[in-house]
Amino acid sequence: MNNHFVVGVFDEEAQLMAAVNETQKQGFQIQEIYSPYPVYEAIEAMGKKTRFTFAAFLFGLFGALGVLAFMYYTAVIDWPINYGGKPTNAFPSFLVVTIVITILVVTIASLFTFSARAKIYPGKAYVLPDPRSTDDKFVMVFDKSANDSEYQRLAELLKAEGAVEVYEKNIEPEN
Amino acid sequence: MYKTEVRGPLILGDKNYHQISTDIIAPINQPVPLWWKVAFGISNLALLFGLVAIYQTVSVGIGTWGVNNSVGWAWEIINFVWWIGIGHAGTAFSIFLLVLRQKWRTSINRAAEAMTVVAVMCAAIFPALHMGRVWLAFYIFPYPNTRGPLWVNYNSPLFWDFIAISAYLLISASFWYFGMVPDFATIRDRTTSKIKKAVYGFFAFGWVGTSREWLRFEALSYVLGGIAAVLVVSVHSIVSTDFAVSVIPGWHTTVFPPYFVVGAIFSGFAMVMTLMIIIRKMYKFQDYVTSSHLNAIAKILIFISLIMGTAYATEAFIAWYSGNRYEIFTFFYNRATGDYSIEYWTMIICNAIVPQLFWFKKIRKNLTAAFIISIIINIGMWFERYNIIITSLAKDFLPSSWVTYSPTWVEIGVFVGTLGLFGAGVLLFFKFIPMMAISELKGILKVTSYNTNDKKHISHE
Repeated sequence: MNNHFVVGVFDEEAQLMAAVNETQKQGFQIQEIYSPYPVYEAIEAMGKKTRFTFAAFLFGLFGALGVLAFMYYTAVIDWPINYGGKPTNAFPSFLVVTIVITILVVTIASLFTFSARAKIYPGKAYVLPDPRSTDDKFVMVFDKSANDSEYQRLAELLKAEGAVEVYEKNIEPEN
Repeated sequence: MYKTEVRGPLILGDKNYHQISTDIIAPINQPVPLWWKVAFGISNLALLFGLVAIYQTVSVGIGTWGVNNSVGWAWEIINFVWWIGIGHAGTAFSIFLLVLRQKWRTSINRAAEAMTVVAVMCAAIFPALHMGRVWLAFYIFPYPNTRGPLWVNYNSPLFWDFIAISAYLLISASFWYFGMVPDFATIRDRTTSKIKKAVYGFFAFGWVGTSREWLRFEALSYVLGGIAAVLVVSVHSIVSTDFAVSVIPGWHTTVFPPYFVVGAIFSGFAMVMTLMIIIRKMYKFQDYVTSSHLNAIAKILIFISLIMGTAYATEAFIAWYSGNRYEIFTFFYNRATGDYSIEYWTMIICNAIVPQLFWFKKIRKNLTAAFIISIIINIGMWFERYNIIITSLAKDFLPSSWVTYSPTWVEIGVFVGTLGLFGAGVLLFFKFIPMMAISELKGILKVTSYNTNDKKHISHE
């Protein structure tokens, strides 16, 4: 696998976005954008979409039906007990537990989905081209092999859009 | 849309991104100041006293407490509800304001959520001990066992409460933790210490801030924010049903769920104010916790205080209007003019009257006054729970069962212990965790400051 990259470092969000738009217009493929806070235009420009909310809805549906089924099984089928003459399937008062457990299921399942889809987990060997990108720099990374012949043009373009540094780097996973 | 011309910048001092990281991480890298050591020592002493009291409770039994046949719930339930109330605001604060896209939350939400997690841990101690044999606490889990299988009663508010509190603790802790992941990565990449790099690097879970990560991170926070908002309202409503579904005069009222939720948010916001004033003063964070932030909290407190006053008035009015003699006795002869009038009027003055001082701009801007009022609100909210629980139980239907209640040293000890746990937890948070969400502060820096239109920023547009 090729791990030779071109890294462009920017000071400001506006410069980053100008560079993102210009390089894309000229046909360069951006490998990844690193920013210290979420930049919505950059996420959009990278063409990334997420079906997270739909997944959360499914978790909620599964959680609600699951907990209702569990309560019905335990309170009605497995061991019915007469509490002051109330029906064993006391549906309205089951709703309280259903709401809370549904929220719990959505939360836990969403966290695991996030961990799996964003690839964020303990002990991950991460790739960080420029450590300043978690502090105050906005970093664009291009695959060098794909743009080898046009490297000069890319570097000039990034500089013209306000990059404070443009350099080549071999990137290996850290830790 | 945040209008900086109208409301002023949220971050003062013409900061850049790098300065924000440096400022917020500074307390983690510096040695702890003297006041921190003193406060931590006092908290640990209080915690030690609490542990002695808990040992006494567990080894001897509930007989060491002042509770009796009539007043079967007392000090422990007061403190349980009080802590849960405080624990409510953290999530209420960060989630309601997240959903409403209020940008001023960014300086405060981290501390508010930390407060939530510690306060809910304090709260959970009380019902666990109140079970009497705490080593059998697992009986409350719905699991198949050799005793039947004997399942739990899903109609019982006490079971709802157990579910709600456990879920709330898990959810608020994970919401808090995942918000911190990008900031741990910032510490990991900036520190020069090998140990810190390893420890914060582990907790950062390999975060690097790619657009792929941010996209899901934002989606996650809105999903969790949206559903946890429901939880904030439902958890304290459930706590209130512990009382409201009983037939004790003064408890059996339909106003309880909203009244408890609002009361919880009230005491929690007051505690947020107390904490933010401490953070601002002790760590010199006045550029981040501006007087405009505290002003906003004070205005919310006025509003909630009015709701509290209305709730107290509603309770009294309905007691009279219902014509029920037990209700009339409880509210007018027992609480307002009887043996417990001091506690009743303390509650009214602290919660409904004193916070009205925030109508004056001078008082909102005066940090000492705001600090004192925030403490008074929390005392008032403690007395509110005292009123609800003790007065109703001490004098209910049968005069032959009327008793008085006073706490023993063991009960006071457990409460002091939770205060110590809270203090120690918050102080550890000050030392080891970035007190404000660094990445969120960076996100609002440009859009809410006057230098949005400076030359550097628009030169390429």
